[in-house]
Amino acid sequence: MKMRKIEMGAMEPDMTPMIDIVFQLLTFFMIAISFESTKADERVKLPVDTLAKPPVVKPEHELVLNFGYQRHPSGERRKSRPEVFYNERYVDVYDIAPELEQEKRVMERVHGQNIIKDVTVLIRADSEIPMGLVQELIRKCQDAGFSKFSLRATSEEA
Amino acid sequence: MKLQNRLSGPTKVQIPMVPMIDIVFLLLIFFMLNLKIVSPEGNFNINLPISAPTAAAAELTPPEIKVSMVSDRQGNLIQLTLGSKNLGNDEMAFEQLNKEILKIIGRPGNPLAKDIEVEIDADYETQYKYVVKAISKCTGRLDPGSKQVARYVEKIKFAPPHKPKA
Repeated sequence: MKMRKIEMGAMEPDMTPMIDIVFQLLTFFMIAISFESTKADERVKLPVDTLAKPPVVKPEHELVLNFGYQRHPSGERRKSRPEVFYNERYVDVYDIAPELEQEKRVMERVHGQNIIKDVTVLIRADSEIPMGLVQELIRKCQDAGFSKFSLRATSEEA
Repeated sequence: MKLQNRLSGPTKVQIPMVPMIDIVFLLLIFFMLNLKIVSPEGNFNINLPISAPTAAAAELTPPEIKVSMVSDRQGNLIQLTLGSKNLGNDEMAFEQLNKEILKIIGRPGNPLAKDIEVEIDADYETQYKYVVKAISKCTGRLDPGSKQVARYVEKIKFAPPHKPKA
């Protein structure tokens, strides 16, 4: 008699373990996700190095310059010269001065006149770019007034 | 009478779980789709006193260590030199560079070596990855056991750029 009574009632599966697991997964993904790398351009194949460590203190003001090759999906280069990926456009290093001036003006308007000294330029250059062009990019930034530079590389687990 | 009965009796309150589970699943899917697995990026924690273009200033303070890199037109490294010592162009050359730098500074984190500056003089064509490697070998070494970085030189500067090979 007792048995029959239980069978008649609506079956309620125990949800608690599943909810526990789902919450754990949710927490994992929330922690693992990083919205910060939005400025990092995947088209740039950074050099890899074991010593490249994520900075402990993030610079307060930064300007990210992605410098790489336009590539076909297969990986071949579309153009022989590397270009700066600037706001969905491709700009040659030698023509970057107006864009840098514009960045500088915007920063000065938002943060004040002397901000330019505190801006760190993060250079994300492709591993195959000739050094001369990277130096040219640095020089253009210096001409625009930027003085702090940081070279980015992908950190490799040793 | 009926009402009183309902209120006084010890009833089990059923929290509706279904809407919550719906939302939690939605959030889960959102975070799963947004997750991008990228290896972390970093820099080298170095000062880059990029040499001023004035030649006079460069002559006043000659850099103590000079690393030169010669490359072919495709940017492949042909020769890595430290001062006047030729180190070769393969993986061993960079290891050798690392050892030589350690010899110069004495021991990692030596306070006397704080002002030592390495000047990197690379050909125009030299691929950026070789330069980054040289910078890495000058700035320190990763201890394989403790995974700690032993810091060597903190100041790196670049020589004025060369002209491209015609």
